[in-house]
Amino acid sequence: MHISSIEVHKAATLDEASALMGRFAPDVRLLAGGTDVLVDLKTARFSVGHLVALGAIKNLRGVTEEREGLRIGALTTIAELGRSPLIAGAYDALRDATSRMATPQVRNAATVGGNVAGAVPCADLPPILIAMNATALLVSDKGERTVLLEDLVVGPRQTILRDNELLAAVNVPRPPARFGAAYARFGLREANAIAVAGVAVALVLNDDRTVRSARIALCAVAPVPKLVKAASRLLVGRVLDESACAQAAALAMAAAEPIADLRGSAEYRCELVGTLTRRALAAAQQRIGR
Amino acid sequence: MFTARNFTINGQKYDVAIEDGETLLDVLRDRLHLTGTKKGCDSGDCGACTVLIDGEPLNSCLLLASTVDGRSITTIEGLAQNGELTPLQKSFVAEGGLQCGYCTPGMVLSATALLERNPDPSTEEIKDALAGNLCRCTGYTGIMRSVERCKNYLEGGQCAKPHETASPAEHSGVGASIPRIDAADKVTGRALYTADISLPNMAHGKILGSSIAHGLLKRIDVSKAKALPGVLAVLTGADVTDTKYGVSPARYDEDVLAKDKVRHIGDPVAAVAAVDEKTAERALKLIEVEYERLPVLTDAMEAIKEGAPLIHEKYKRNICTSVDYNFGDVDAAFKESHYVREETFTGNNVFQSPLEPHASIAAWNHDGNLTLYTSTQVPPYVQYMMAHVLHIPLGKIRVIRPAVGGGFGTKAATTPLDICSALLSRACGRPVKMVYSREEMFHYGRGRHKQHMKFKLGLDREGRIKAVKSEVYLDGGAYTSFGVATAYYAGSMIPTLYKMPNYRYDGYRVMTNKPACGAMRGHGVPQPRFAFECLLSMAADDLGIDPIEIRRRNAMTPNTMTLNDLDIGSCEFSATLDAVAEKSSWKEKFGKLPKGKGIGIGCGGFVSGAGYCIYRGQVQLSHEKGREQFQKKAIFPHANAVVRVSEDGEAAVLMIGAAEIGQGSDTVLVQMCAESLGIPASHMRMQSADSEVSPLDLGAYSSRVTFMAGHAVSRAGAMVLEKMKPYAAAMLGCAASEVQARDGKMFVHGDASRNVLWAEVARQCFNDDGPLVGTGWYKPPEGLGGDYKGATVGTSPAYSFGSSVCELSVDLETGKVKIEQFTDYHDCGTPINPQGVHGQVEGAIVMGAGETTMEGVEFGEDGHLVNPNLHGYLIMTIKDAPEIFSGVVDSYEPRGPFGAKEIGEGSTLPVLGAVAHAIANATGVWIKDLPITPEKIVNAIRQKKAADAARRERRDEPVTAK
Ligand SMILES: Cc1cc2nc3c(=O)[nH]c(=O)nc-3n(C[C@H](O)[C@H](O)[C@H](O)COP(=O)(O)OP(=O)(O)OC[C@H]3O[C@@H](n4cnc5c(N)ncnc54)[C@H](O)[C@@H]3O)c2cc1C
Ligand code: FES
Ligand code: FES
Repeated sequence: MHISSIEVHKAATLDEASALMGRFAPDVRLLAGGTDVLVDLKTARFSVGHLVALGAIKNLRGVTEEREGLRIGALTTIAELGRSPLIAGAYDALRDATSRMATPQVRNAATVGGNVAGAVPCADLPPILIAMNATALLVSDKGERTVLLEDLVVGPRQTILRDNELLAAVNVPRPPARFGAAYARFGLREANAIAVAGVAVALVLNDDRTVRSARIALCAVAPVPKLVKAASRLLVGRVLDESACAQAAALAMAAAEPIADLRGSAEYRCELVGTLTRRALAAAQQRIGR
Repeated sequence: MFTARNFTINGQKYDVAIEDGETLLDVLRDRLHLTGTKKGCDSGDCGACTVLIDGEPLNSCLLLASTVDGRSITTIEGLAQNGELTPLQKSFVAEGGLQCGYCTPGMVLSATALLERNPDPSTEEIKDALAGNLCRCTGYTGIMRSVERCKNYLEGGQCAKPHETASPAEHSGVGASIPRIDAADKVTGRALYTADISLPNMAHGKILGSSIAHGLLKRIDVSKAKALPGVLAVLTGADVTDTKYGVSPARYDEDVLAKDKVRHIGDPVAAVAAVDEKTAERALKLIEVEYERLPVLTDAMEAIKEGAPLIHEKYKRNICTSVDYNFGDVDAAFKESHYVREETFTGNNVFQSPLEPHASIAAWNHDGNLTLYTSTQVPPYVQYMMAHVLHIPLGKIRVIRPAVGGGFGTKAATTPLDICSALLSRACGRPVKMVYSREEMFHYGRGRHKQHMKFKLGLDREGRIKAVKSEVYLDGGAYTSFGVATAYYAGSMIPTLYKMPNYRYDGYRVMTNKPACGAMRGHGVPQPRFAFECLLSMAADDLGIDPIEIRRRNAMTPNTMTLNDLDIGSCEFSATLDAVAEKSSWKEKFGKLPKGKGIGIGCGGFVSGAGYCIYRGQVQLSHEKGREQFQKKAIFPHANAVVRVSEDGEAAVLMIGAAEIGQGSDTVLVQMCAESLGIPASHMRMQSADSEVSPLDLGAYSSRVTFMAGHAVSRAGAMVLEKMKPYAAAMLGCAASEVQARDGKMFVHGDASRNVLWAEVARQCFNDDGPLVGTGWYKPPEGLGGDYKGATVGTSPAYSFGSSVCELSVDLETGKVKIEQFTDYHDCGTPINPQGVHGQVEGAIVMGAGETTMEGVEFGEDGHLVNPNLHGYLIMTIKDAPEIFSGVVDSYEPRGPFGAKEIGEGSTLPVLGAVAHAIANATGVWIKDLPITPEKIVNAIRQKKAADAARRERRDEPVTAK
């Protein structure tokens, strides 16, 4: 279907974008890569009179290495993130998500900001970013604030962002030594398949191979990308043997609150969460070993 | 609000006024007429709309044009320079990288971007780069080959012009793998599909589909829609004919627009023409419809229950057709059988999902003649049905079939677009174009019937078939469409592959409140074939016989009349079994693979054209006559050709209405005609698109074109040659009977050195005798079929046979199947174009494997479609496609043109059973319910474990006396 009459405002700066958002709220949306917004407009999931296009805001784009870690500008495309030379070593796990989501064409348009702030439950980046302790930099013409990424999304397509506020960047703290992360996802095709379930794991081990910290976050099995806090508590101090992994998997399964849909029943999704948790734990651990 | 924007497209500047909400795709296609960029889904799922922006591939359907002005845009039209194809385009042409061509522009652009950044990509890198471009035809095999071998076509390489690859010395007629004659047009975006065509002053139409699945139409108010500026005409059921239409003459049950009742979501209720599509869409929203809801039936097994609401009054228990085939005495034979097993199977509602959406453009002339451009597989049936609903003679209707982006059966009937575009065009006095959205395609449907099947098999001690019995309920959706034939086919084709002395089939075609099902590749047969193949493999396991061996023991033999009176001529089925066994190293693998790895066999075959056509003798008429006395012969020729040699003798124009829909029929027909004329294929031109130019050919269904149209074109060519022989004889100084022609020369039989140029002889003919024209036609042989009810379905002049071995792995924890390797051998007679044959097989394997593991339209209880799009309805991507080996066994069909049979549909039939068997082999569980999804696999494995454990426990229990 064609998009009904709409006005596109190209913001040159963050402030301008914020002001435009404030001015037209609630009849407005941000337009980043547009891979969700255009589909939603065509299928009339929502309809608005105005779009604020972010494309021209230069400093929103790109991945940079800062003192505390990586800064991923909200307008960075998934493809740019995936091929950034900075995504190496400990940050590698991000590529588990970027390389497997959507299609090359979509990845060339879709942005990190849209994937994160779009707050779609099956978005692939938020779980791994959350596992890696990422924070979100939120900006409006009135100021800025930083929140933990796991606190950004509050429901399907719902965030804590205010009307005139936007996501400017995602910051991923520099991982400590003996860190390893991985994202395991399950889709019904080898490519271009939305995750039926996904599990992201980030581990820090002590020298004796006991767990210093563990964060497990789930994709597509809850209204929000969900951090399995019980699993973190369980694993700390333990060696990741088979039984520890099985217990963590059980906790992840218990934390999942999946819906049943075309792609799988709730029971199947839970089962996948168990399997994927074990696989992501193993993969993360293996990366530390390297 | 319009804003002037400037775009840089293919290095050229364009200034256009556009609205902010327009996608780049719509601007390219509708405003700039750069129609090489295709709209396949309009939602990012298919990649047909791919363009390069600053060198990177993006979906132009997901970009607002207003946000890309100033950036450098490359479309498919920008690749070839000064008519010279790029090396990659040449590679696609030569390596069989395309069929219907609808995915091709996007595919070529994605591959171009890849090679730009990585000139020497690995197989995996190619697959990753093309993962966002769906192709429904090629199975991706030819595409992989094209990209991998692109280097061979670097500047100066061969193949500047497509079907001249074969150097003049090389034979380009029958048996040569010449490139498709439309390949260069398709890799450059020049090929015009219906939706690419714009006529002056053209309006755009849209159909309002029912929002409920079953109900009475109480009130419909179009006044607001009519009042919307830009709306030109609005039609409802009250404005259109009461004449019903459909496919089977005895079951016309569709209204052009709903009269009093709607029967599925999307059932056409009203139609609008407006100045543009967007306005037409808005007008639809302004139409008020009030329904009285009726109970919705989405399950065929519920619909046949006594007391279920009737979807059509005239179909008692919602059954529109029952079939009862009964040959021999199955009950007695089961009693005598050493082994009997009965199983139930369920199929899925697969949708063809061709990449090109259905489209039509209708334009009336002032003299009352209608021209209809339509993306159809069956131009003459559309012409016939249009005459029927419009109440005008067939001769007043001209059907033009532009390039068609795949059909597989969903384009085998007259669509509401065909009819409504004509009615709207008449109402508003302008040409009207109508194009389905991807969602509307699903609502229109005509996909595969979901079949509920019970199969019973009786074998003797050696595994020879004693009896087969099946009971099948075909879930047909809301209208009959092809359903009568489907129900018969589901029974008639089972006895063609294996010899069976006793056979019974009960079939019921059931109405439900879902889009009508129709004829999909393999028409009615793939699911029963799947069920039978599974059952046979289960039986082989039970009896300890190798599954290939049990097939050999029962295999059909040449020159055999089946028990249901199908006349099998050539048959190399056993040879295909031997060949796949050998090529796949079956003996070393079957039963010896580790857990999670599986190998399986499936077989199948099909008709080479239906022996009888749907409209019997009535093709000349525009309205139905009463039922005719059935005669066992074709009343009129099913395929007809004219070939006309140009006055200078340098070209021959072949005219035949055979529908090229991507399967490659234009190319093989040109090859056969060239062969019989004795000239190179490159001297031929094809006119198959226009009913005004090309004589009747029934169309692309029942795998009939190569066989039937092949006869017509070679006879037309032969007639020309006969006319030329006396002239050549005079020039050569020999008898006319001694003259032969090949590759552009005429020569004396046995002494090729005495020769004369073919063109010179042709010139002489024209100079002396006027137009040099030949005609040819083909009627299926008389007397095909038995004397029982339904004996016509399944009759054919020839039958194909094939065997496939599938190798795969299953992730036993998630249930995910990775289909790794397919080995296929077919008996398709003598291939006319081997590359074309393999292309059909490769496409059928990937489509069939997807059908077995991931495809199916799903419905909610209220009859809504859960997945009417290409992100919910999954078809295989290039990363899902297996490695494929396709081979043909030596075969010659005496009834076929040059010994040929068919490949298009038969190639689908072995696939489902082979995949299912391989999954069972890998997991230890048979899943009899399609599609075999990961979830079903995991559940079945779990159930088996539980059952095994229970059995073990029982065994451990102390035995107590009864
Ligand atoms: C064919 C296809 C396949 C896909 N497959 C996957 C997949 O496998 N995995 C996956 O995760 N996703 C997938 N997606 C979804 C989509 O591509 C992503 O969610 C994408 O990252 C969204 O980014 P965008 O820049 O396109 O967002 P847009 O569409 O521009 O915006 C999305 C939403 O986010 C908001 N937004 C965007 N930027 C900001 C910002 N800076 N601050 C605040 N709000 C903002 C917008 O207002 C809007 O509500 C797929 C999409 C398509 C079309
Ligand atoms: S039309 Fe754009 S991806 Fe299908
Ligand atoms: S050739 Fe790819 S879709 Fe037809």
